[in-house]
Amino acid sequence: MSAAEKTNAPHRRTEPPFVRWLLIGIALAFIALFLVVPLVSVFTEALRQGFGVYFQTLHDPLTLSAIQLTLIAAGISVPLNCIFGVTAAWAIAKFDFRGKNILLTLIDLPFSISPVISGLIYVLVFGAQGWFGSWFSDHNLKIIFAVPGIVLATIFVTFPFVARELIPLMQAQGRTEEEAARVLGASGWQTFWRVTIPNIKWGLLYGVILCNARAMGEFGAVSVVSGHIQGQTNTIPLHVQILYESDNFAGAFAVASLLTFLALVTLVLKTWVEYKNTALRGTAFTPVPIGKKAV
Amino acid sequence: MSVEVRNITKKFGGFTALDNVSLKVESGELVALLGPSGSGKTTLLRTIAGLEFPDNTGEAQVLFYGEDVTSIPASERKAGFAFQHYALFRHMTVFENIAFGLRVRPKTTRPAEVKIRERVGELLKLIQLEPLAERFPSQLSGGQRQRVALARALAVEPKVLLLDEPFGALDAKVRKELRRWLRNLHDEIHITTLFVTHDQEEALEVSDRVAILRDGKIEQIGTPDEIYDHPASPFVYDFLGNVNLFSGRVHEGSVTIGDSKFDVPETSGESGADTVAFVRPHDIRITREANGQKSFPARIVRSNAAGPVANLELERFDGGGRFTAQLGKEEFQQLQLKAGENVFVELKNVKVFSDDFSI
Repeated sequence: MSAAEKTNAPHRRTEPPFVRWLLIGIALAFIALFLVVPLVSVFTEALRQGFGVYFQTLHDPLTLSAIQLTLIAAGISVPLNCIFGVTAAWAIAKFDFRGKNILLTLIDLPFSISPVISGLIYVLVFGAQGWFGSWFSDHNLKIIFAVPGIVLATIFVTFPFVARELIPLMQAQGRTEEEAARVLGASGWQTFWRVTIPNIKWGLLYGVILCNARAMGEFGAVSVVSGHIQGQTNTIPLHVQILYESDNFAGAFAVASLLTFLALVTLVLKTWVEYKNTALRGTAFTPVPIGKKAV
Repeated sequence: MSVEVRNITKKFGGFTALDNVSLKVESGELVALLGPSGSGKTTLLRTIAGLEFPDNTGEAQVLFYGEDVTSIPASERKAGFAFQHYALFRHMTVFENIAFGLRVRPKTTRPAEVKIRERVGELLKLIQLEPLAERFPSQLSGGQRQRVALARALAVEPKVLLLDEPFGALDAKVRKELRRWLRNLHDEIHITTLFVTHDQEEALEVSDRVAILRDGKIEQIGTPDEIYDHPASPFVYDFLGNVNLFSGRVHEGSVTIGDSKFDVPETSGESGADTVAFVRPHDIRITREANGQKSFPARIVRSNAAGPVANLELERFDGGGRFTAQLGKEEFQQLQLKAGENVFVELKNVKVFSDDFSI
């Protein structure tokens, strides 16, 4: 092959410049229209009447109560799903037992059900006319249209995130490291904390971030069980809806900006953890150049 | 420290991995478990370590130094186990990997930090990896990882060392180096060792005794010489090296192949019965002249003299099929053998098995 042909080779392998720019342009326009414009509009609408109104809205007792409730719901459901997710993934990836596939399907269930249905299930089970409704009202316990219902619905909807993230990771890592630890005299507990958890920490963090984002942003299921009692059973997404429907656009966008901000933070965290996670998985079997520290 | 298993049976679904296996390894011995894949050798090793449990509880026994450990979990058996793919803790440095077994001990028996450092230092010296103590497993070569895995297993001063295909994942040169290193190490520390391999050369070279497994059963056990010179079955004979098969008839003290007759000292079975004679390629002599009934004619189909020995593929004149012969390079050059030439063939060390012809 002559030198001239060599230099021409890369050009032949790609499209003509105008096609490339056209495709890139369409992609950029799409991103601008569907992602950037809405993002900017949330913040401009929120700040349309100035910072004063913005912070005033956020300081409104009803808003504060919505933020508080969202934090409570996420604060309870994320750690619980963290525990459920790790135990489920541990059981599925490290042991063989009957009904393993059924368990896998059950874990995926919340993904395949419409959130509204998930909420309705709780209303049917725990509501005043529900199966256990009378028992709960006899004991003066309120689940539906109260905080416990919101927490339950959030747990249900966010259940798969941690487990789904960990199962393939733990399956890929296999059981031999745990077996090695056992033979070396480690107890089950020591094996779990010293071998299993360090190996899955980035995957776990990734699952927790996604779980948290969904827990704070969940609308459908929570909407059904909440009853929309302002100051009592309103989470941030529900509060946005109420403000918007009462034509308080500045307020609605101000509160919405909180969720948007959370989404941005989540995105950054997610990218960082993904980077760490692939770096870790990458070192599982392939050697890294000497002198470079493995993560 | 002797290790003994008695009547171990283990099934995985419908597959019988171990079928009533018993084996005793004497104190300080290095024994190879040799067999094709699926023969149950790894399962036997894992059962000894306590990573698998026999199906026939009650009958089956695992004994360490005469003490029954059948129902004792892996974490309390004090066996050192090196896994086929090393199973090093990927998030720990070489140092921490080796120290792991000491660090997880209960407070009362855990050595002080200084002692741990001392012990790990000794082991790093033993495996000649002192400068790499702070490396992570992913930064090591296969041979280095295997040595770390061995050091980690040795750190807890195990009563017995169990190695699952210790050199299986390494390239040929490193393999040879490492198995010589293992043999030297064993001569130095004399720990009762069992290792699994599917490589007959490795088993014969390294071990004191070899147990050959087939379909979950021990087919033969003995020193490398014993099993090589006196294989108990066609399977063992075939597994230990290349082999040629000649069909013929047995007579007392000899076997007839075509019109020729060869001495077989260890014949058994009925005179005149059909049989199959086994001959190793290096036990075939090639000559230019016939030697009466003690040779038969053949044509050289192909010859390959690369390396220290020459390999020939020959075809019998009587339609008895092709076979291979191996001879020293010098002899090959003296005879000036070429493909297409006719020669005479003599057989030495002919082996005949009485009942089972199948391999």
